[in-house]
Amino acid sequence: MSDLESRLDQIVPEPQFSPRANRGPLMISMKNVSKRYVANKAALENVNVEVAAGEFVFIVGHSGSGKSTFIRMLLREVQPSSGQIIVAGHDLSRLKNSKVPYLRRNIGCVFQDFKLLPNKTAFENVAFALQVIGKSKHVINTQVPEVLRLVGLEGKIHNYPHELSGGEQQRVSVARAFVNRPPLLLCDEPTGNLDPQTSLGIMKLLERINRTGTTTLIATHDQEMVNYMRQRVIALDEGQLVRDQDRGVYGNVD
Amino acid sequence: MSINLGYFISEAAISFKRNWVMTFGGIATIFLSLLLMGSALLMNSLVNDMVGDIESRINIQVWIHDDAEYVDIEGLQVALEGHENVATVHLVDKDEALERFTYMTQESPQIVEQLQDNPLPRSLEIELIDTQEIDGVLSLIRGSEEFPLIADPPSDPERALAYGQGIVETLLGATQTARYAGIALVGILAVVSLIFINNTIRLAIYARRNELSIMRLVGASNGFIRAPFILEGILQALVGAILAILVLLAIKSFVFPGLQETLAFITFNFTNALMTEIALILLASGVVIGTLGAIIAMRRYLKI
Repeated sequence: MSDLESRLDQIVPEPQFSPRANRGPLMISMKNVSKRYVANKAALENVNVEVAAGEFVFIVGHSGSGKSTFIRMLLREVQPSSGQIIVAGHDLSRLKNSKVPYLRRNIGCVFQDFKLLPNKTAFENVAFALQVIGKSKHVINTQVPEVLRLVGLEGKIHNYPHELSGGEQQRVSVARAFVNRPPLLLCDEPTGNLDPQTSLGIMKLLERINRTGTTTLIATHDQEMVNYMRQRVIALDEGQLVRDQDRGVYGNVD
Repeated sequence: MSINLGYFISEAAISFKRNWVMTFGGIATIFLSLLLMGSALLMNSLVNDMVGDIESRINIQVWIHDDAEYVDIEGLQVALEGHENVATVHLVDKDEALERFTYMTQESPQIVEQLQDNPLPRSLEIELIDTQEIDGVLSLIRGSEEFPLIADPPSDPERALAYGQGIVETLLGATQTARYAGIALVGILAVVSLIFINNTIRLAIYARRNELSIMRLVGASNGFIRAPFILEGILQALVGAILAILVLLAIKSFVFPGLQETLAFITFNFTNALMTEIALILLASGVVIGTLGAIIAMRRYLKI
């Protein structure tokens, strides 16, 4: 694809969606992306999505609709069978394996199962993320308490995960995802293990983070939450993108 | 990167404690294979010394028939003394031959006592300057007119010549076989230690799989993720290598002096330079095995 063509592709919106001009630079661009784990069944089929910097987007769908594959592709844990994915200016199919860590430093991740280390305190869990990318002690000691205060855990900095409630654990995990101030935050079922009240708190936290300018993508099947938040909704069904709606609702994805 | 080095070392130490049985196995096999390798190197140097020693002691003896004329003997002796590769030519008369024989058999004097008269022949003892160039001297002897006249037995003069035919070759052949067996054994043990280290690292990777998946997610570089495991492999190998070196030094200082007394004909000469060289070889081999074991384990079990 020539340079001109690729630029045109970015300017001309895909016909099947409402025009998204005036949204600022693109954070995510997926073009004709398909993924097949087995030959005859597609996990994702010809998906075209653009997400501008600073957007808050829900990805909804049943289990097996391709939400997780969608998220994992953005992290380049999974490579598409065909199509092009550009995340934060990186063309993922051209990204060398050795450069993947640097892509991931620009992406925060939150998961349903928190993925906290049980033998480390809240502080140490967040610090670990900075430690392993070579940040200095000074940076760690200033940034970690700050981000833990931001997520509302200032009183529980030195508690271990088993001493925290589910919601608090998820806050630690959000803090870890956000401590490096990534331009993109990906959440895979962040409220899947939490009760509605706690879920709402987490959603509000994610929204607050989004307002600092962080592009936020949330894969979820939490119908209530999606309807409540009134944000952009991308619906997947059997690997197909069936709906892409501003200020949308969960709706019937059957 | 000073923080990182501390981090890597503490990670490796933790894993050391966590999997100490496997770690012990890894260290033990490395220790054994390196100990064997070190012993083989020591033996090699010993054998080379011995061969050199024996070669330098090689001389030619010409057995002389009792009826030989003295002029003929002297003729050959003079001809030999004129050869450029001959150091000395010494005529051993019957009395001296008996004297030597008595000395050699002093443990059982009855052998000499039973002799009626002196059956031992005279001989010419020829010492060479360069033992490698023995052929020139041999052909001079074989070509001389006197040799067939004085050789004992006269019917087969060739049997009158003794010059350590084949001693060196036999010695080298025997040690060569031992050397191949040693190399094979060391090779097998090296593979076993590779497998052991591979296993320990695999367990270490498994024990830390959660941490590793988080490290990958937050963008720790591949080198950063791998470093503690490589370090662990190297650490195990180094401990094994150091143990092997200590045991070799102990053998050198405590076993060989005792052996030297019993085996006086062999000179054990292990210089510090030789020991240093062997120690360095063992350390280097250990590091190679450790790194290789860790890399193999990571290739198979650490998907980055």
